[in-house]
Order: sequence, then structure tokens, then C-alpha cells
Amino acid sequence: MSAILPSELSFVTRHAPFDRMELPHVLWMLERMDVGYYASGEVIVSPEQGPVDRFLVIKQGKVHGEQSVAHASETDTWLELAEGECFPLGALLANRRVASVYRAGSDTFCYELPADDFRELIGMSAAFRDFCTRRIANLLEHSKQVIQAQYSNSSVEQQSLASPLSAIVRREPVSCSPETTVRQVLEVMREQRIGSMVAVDEKGRPLGIMTLHDVLDRIAIPQIDLDQPVIRVMSTRLSTLPPHALAHEAALMMAKHGFRHVLVVENGRLVGLVSEKDLFALQRVGLRQIGSAIRHAESAEVLQQGAADIRRMAHNMMAQGVAPEQLTQFISAFNDLLTTRVVDLECKASGLLGTSLHNGMCWMALGSEGRFEQTLNTDQDNAIVFDVPEGMTADQVREKLLPVAQRINETLALCGFPLCKGEIMASNPKWCLSLEEWKHTFNGWISGGSPESLLHASIFFDFRPLYGAQHLAENLRNWLGRTASENSRFLHMMAANALRNRPPLGVVRDFVLGKGNMLDLKMNGITPFVDAARIFGLAAGVTHTNTIQRLRMSASKMNLPLAEIDAWINALLFIQVLRLRHHDESSMQGKNDEAMDNKIDPEKLNELDRRILKEAFRQARKLQSRLALEYRL
Amino acid sequence: MLASLQRWFAPKPRLTAEQEARLAAWIALPAVDAKASHLRCVVVDVETTGLNLMTDTLISIGAVAVVNGRIALGDSFYVVLQQREASRKENILIHGISGTVQREGADPVEALLAFLEFMGKSPLVAFHVTFDETMIRRALRQYLGLKLKHLWVDLAYVMPALYPPLAYSHRVLDDWIGRFNIRIQVRHNALADALATAQLLQVAQACAHKKGISSIASLRDLELQQRWVNGVS
Repeated sequence: MSAILPSELSFVTRHAPFDRMELPHVLWMLERMDVGYYASGEVIVSPEQGPVDRFLVIKQGKVHGEQSVAHASETDTWLELAEGECFPLGALLANRRVASVYRAGSDTFCYELPADDFRELIGMSAAFRDFCTRRIANLLEHSKQVIQAQYSNSSVEQQSLASPLSAIVRREPVSCSPETTVRQVLEVMREQRIGSMVAVDEKGRPLGIMTLHDVLDRIAIPQIDLDQPVIRVMSTRLSTLPPHALAHEAALMMAKHGFRHVLVVENGRLVGLVSEKDLFALQRVGLRQIGSAIRHAESAEVLQQGAADIRRMAHNMMAQGVAPEQLTQFISAFNDLLTTRVVDLECKASGLLGTSLHNGMCWMALGSEGRFEQTLNTDQDNAIVFDVPEGMTADQVREKLLPVAQRINETLALCGFPLCKGEIMASNPKWCLSLEEWKHTFNGWISGGSPESLLHASIFFDFRPLYGAQHLAENLRNWLGRTASENSRFLHMMAANALRNRPPLGVVRDFVLGKGNMLDLKMNGITPFVDAARIFGLAAGVTHTNTIQRLRMSASKMNLPLAEIDAWINALLFIQVLRLRHHDESSMQGKNDEAMDNKIDPEKLNELDRRILKEAFRQARKLQSRLALEYRL
Repeated sequence: MLASLQRWFAPKPRLTAEQEARLAAWIALPAVDAKASHLRCVVVDVETTGLNLMTDTLISIGAVAVVNGRIALGDSFYVVLQQREASRKENILIHGISGTVQREGADPVEALLAFLEFMGKSPLVAFHVTFDETMIRRALRQYLGLKLKHLWVDLAYVMPALYPPLAYSHRVLDDWIGRFNIRIQVRHNALADALATAQLLQVAQACAHKKGISSIASLRDLELQQRWVNGVS
């Protein structure tokens, strides 16, 4: 027998969302609630408590939310909740720990509902459910904080590569005299479980190093005499750095020369040894270091290291809660840098550098790279536009450029950008064209309108210059802007084509899944936005290729309400976050590029993400309706 | 006066066999260990026809359970007892239970049995126990023939013992609940008052916990000390 207070009922029903809920649902909730008391200053919910176990409504008093993930001070209040407000909704829906500390700001009483009952109530009451998932912007903000909290654990452990080697060297190096026998050295290495041994002279100066990796090649396979002095089988090409040198210099030295160890030497004396493994933990590579390493790279190996650093950086930036818009821009910027360096190196290596052909060519990025929307897993999409010098034909220029393009494509593949399966690469003669040839080709697509032309248009019309004669690409861009905006028949067909790709929402607002119950975040999630933005952009004569910029810049000309544009952009960014997180998790699990895809199982998403994703798809649907309206489809 | 004498010397009340069995079942419940921490206790408040302990009668009982420092809203109790005649008009204005509701209230025997069953053997907590205890004891004796011997804790003594600096400025329930920002939605409703008192108990337990006091028995000891202090000072 329980007596629910009419007064308690009148209190909660004065506040959202209880004021809109059906009475039996509110009573159901109240019957299952406790009242908890928290003295002023007492912690109510914190990340340390693990996944949130209860839903709280402030009965009396006030509650402060404090940022705990960042390094903000304890007193840094960023959120104050008053009587009648509920918390922590996002973390509860996501079944995660909170990202902030919630603390009683005065003597506080809270109504508290166990998490299981909360979830039951969500299922029971539509009004309650809507309230909890209503404001996508807020939830996105929250989702960002949670991601931050999730990642911050892994990033605090990472030291900076900017720390000096003296801070990394953990113990005295184990050394021996050069005359010690190979047998003795191997025994010591086994006993002390060390991976390497340095031979030093009587003054402590390093003479040679032997590592476990050498044992196979230098000792076991040649079956050498184990009683000879160890110095004879040691590597005497030593890489040394002073203790004040920074960790990233050691990392770069290892990357450049393929060493696994760097000796730390002070005044000629060996004071320590840094192995690749020691540096492995130091994942927080600074942007500047990566940038300068790539800019000064002289070989594909260093660039490969740079590509790996870019991935690590992306992981760290997710950890720091960098917004997806900036994150993809960063990734694009660094990939640009890397690609530019690869093009430069290969032009040099093939003797093209300095010739008039080199001055008259421009390497272009297409597709997602062209839109500044690269994620960690992006195929190569590139092309060349060139100038035809006096006295040469386009074919002759092409003949010279194609082998260079081939080398560039291959090196890029080595750096982790898989070759394009559709052959949309500069090494394909079809996509290594003079300015006039490009205009001719584009014109054919615009006036033709076959499915193939439309597909090509969707990739190539996102081009932007990366390297070389930029003015050629700019010329092409301006020409395309004029030509496409005047051709409404073409835009109409593009729109019709884009509308074939419907967001995967069913009539009952649930997901419509593809093979294996998977959702393709790229095809189903990102593409509808990208396609619509391209059409609006082309119609409005916007020269920018980025989807968000296209939407914003075409707004006034296409009469798109700004509030709707913001909702579309938020939705797109949320899908992008999910996609980046998916890629990041895959790469952390050690999957290689081929194994990385854009497919997720919505069942594995938490409640919050699932709901926001649905909302995002609904936004995609709205955008498509707008497109259909514009082109009367 | 005559009415009260009649009640006093009234014959033993008649219960049905089922009611007798329920009463026996309650009496047979094992006693609880007041020294245990996390013990369920029941905060109680009553409304009466007036403030005279001898002549006025019980109108309603409100009770809220506190377990482990938390109030379980689903574990609460409220009953209005059927009156032979409605209380005076000025009294109705205080507790807001209209004459009609009073006359339509639950049969006192059933109401009190239900209260016993809700309470179990959990210790009772109130603010100014004497009034609530007397009213409840008298009703139990009159309608069920039960002489209630129960552990009561009085927050009116526990609070000043826990907050000595406030002892002189804080006397009545309103002083204390105001001090801790506890608001009563409907004052002088037995259940609303019981809930406010329960919140005060939460504050008391949280404060006591910091001083290493975690059982009802030790709160009761605190009360006895304070009674002694009040007696000598």
C-alpha cells in the first residue's frame, strides 16, 4: 500500500517533461522513486561512479555540473540546475558514465529513479521519450563530452613526444666490454630480459650494439663461433643523441634510418638507451612536428611514418573533443601536406622538376579530399590538369606526365591511401587532361546526363588544386560554376539521381538495414547531404567544394532558411562523428585499411546515439524534400 | 469530558476473526535490532481534532519510510480515519480535511491495522514525539485493545544535539526545515508533514554519519542526552 503525495505530484507536474506526460506514467514513476539528500558541496554523480545508475529530478536545492574531463579547476562551474530539472539525461540514455561531476550547490533533495525503471519509462511514455531526445544540438554537445571522457583516459597516459630523452630513459644501460664473448652477452641478455647490449670502452664510450633482432641474422643463421668477442658481430653504425634531445627527434631518427634503438650519450659517455618500444607509448605527436617531418621528408618511409602520425593525431584530437568539422579539416590539411610532398618527391625523382611541363601542371584532389572531408579511411581520388606548351600536343604532354602520376599513385598507396578501385586517379589517361580537354569532358557530362556522367560529375565536380599550377584549376572551377548554374536540365537530373539514395528510415521511423543488418554511414548517412549540397552549390555558383560551406554559401540564393541549414549541418556532423569514431576504433583494433569500412550495426549503438542518428537521418530526409521541391521531383 | 471518560472506560473493542488474526500476526513479527545500520524506519505525523491530548482524536496518519538514508516514495502511507462527527470548523481550516472526507474516512480498526502492517516493527521517528505517540497509542488502545510499546526517536531533540549552535534559535519544525530549505507543499497534511520530517531525518542521518553515528539506537541515545541537557540547563 503506498500513498503517493498529491503534493509531490503537483510539484513534478509543474515541470517539463512531467507536465506533458500521462498521469498514470507520472504515478508509475513516483512510486518507484526515492528521495535522496545531499549536503551542500556533496558529490551526487561523478564519472568515477561508473555508468549512471539513476535518473534524478531536483526536488529542492540546486546542483552544479562541473567539467571534470578537461583540466578545468574544480570550482569551474559550467552548468547550474534548479528545482524541477532532470539530470544526467545523456549519460543515462547512453548507458555511460557522466562526463561531469554533479555536486549539490546547497542542501539538496532529489527524486531518484533507478536506471532500469528510467529505461522502462522511456519505452512507456512518448512524451518523456521525446523530451529526453528532443534537442539534437544539446545532445550532440553531450555526445561530444562523452566521447571526450571516453578518450581522455587513454590520452592522459600518453606522454608528450616533446619530453626530453632524459625523462624517458628508465634505467642505467646494461653494457659490456667489446671483448666479452658472444655467449656471455646472450646469457646476460636472457637473464636480465633485455633486448639489446651496448659494448663500451673503458671510458664508457659506446662502440657497438647488438639487439635481439640481430641474433637471428648475425649469430643463429651464420652459426658463428659463440666464443668470439661480441664486438665482431655488433653493429657499429650507432645513432646517438644527447639527453636533452627530444623524444620526437629519436622517433624521427628511428623512422628515417630504420633503427630500433637510439643511444643517449652525454660527453661521449653512454648514459641510456631508448628503444622504439619506449617511444611507442608517446603517442601524442604534436601537429608541428608531424607537419615539419612531412615537409622535410626525403623518402617514402618517412612519409609513411607521417601518415601513421596523422592517424594517431586524429585519435588524440578526438580525445580532446575537437569538433568533427575541424577534425576532418585537420586530417585533410595534413593529407594535403603529405600528398604535396609525395608529388614533389616523385616529380624530383623522375626528373620532371624544373621543366616547363612541371610548371604547367596541377595535381587535383577529388571526392572527399576535394571537399576537405577526408576521414581516416579514404581511397585516392585524384587527377591532373595541365597546360599544353607551344609546339606540343596534349597527348605528348600526357605521355610524359603519366609515368610520374603512376609513381605518385603508388607512393600514396604506400602511405595508406588505397588505390582507387574505380581507377579515378591521375595515372589513368582519362583523368590526366589539359584544361581544354577537361572543359570538353565536363561539358559532355552536363549536356549528356547518362547515369555514368552523373556519377562522374559527383566525384569530379568536387575537385580542388593541391599542387602546382593552381590557376588552371581555378579557371576550370569558374568555368564550371558558370556552365552548371545555367544548365537547369543537368541540375534537375543530378537532383533526381541524388534522390534515389534515400536515408535508411522506415515508415515507423526505424532504421532500414542493408545486408547483415548493417547501416552504411557513408552511403546512407553522409552522401545524401553531400549530394544535395553539391547541387545547391552548383546552382548558386558557389566555388567552394566543402559540403558545409556549400550549404551555408548557397543559403541566400536558394532561399534556404538558416535554421534548417544549421540543423542539416549538425546532423551531418553527428554522422561524421560516428563514422570517425568507427574508423578510429577499427584502427585501434589494428584493422588494416581494407578491413575498415563505414558499416555499423545500429543495435550496437547506445540508445542516445541511435536516437540522434535517427534524427540525423530525418534531417537528411528534410534536405531531400527541399531538393525535390526545388526541382519539382 | 464525558465523551473522553466514556472512551476511557469503554469495553474491549470487538474485532472480527480476520482482524484478530492480522493483529496477532503483527504482534508476532520479530523485533528489529535498533543498533543495525541501514535499518528501515518510519517517519510519522498525525492530524487531530485539536491539540488536547486528552479530548481530541486522531483524524489522519501520514507515514514515510526511510531506508539507508533514502526516502522511498513508493513506501509511504496515508489514511483518514472515519469520525463519528466532523471536527470543529476552525480545526478543519488547519488540516484541510473537510467534514465529508472525515465522515467518509476508513473504519478506524481497518485504518490502524493497515498502519501497523505498514510500520511493521520499524522504529518510529517524529518531531515532538509526545503528541504523535500519545494520539496513536490512544487510538490503538481504543480500537484494537493494543498497548503499543515501541521505539520512538524524537527529532526535536536529535537536531539540537547534532547542531548545538542552532539549539536556541531553532525550536519548532518550521525552524528546522526552513534552515535546510525543505519546503512543505501542503502544510498540516499528515503525509506532507511526515515527508518534510523524513527529509529532516535524512539531514540528521547525514550529519550523524559524519560523527560516526549510524544506527537508530545511537540517534535515540543522542536524543536522551539532549533531553538530559535540556533538563539541567
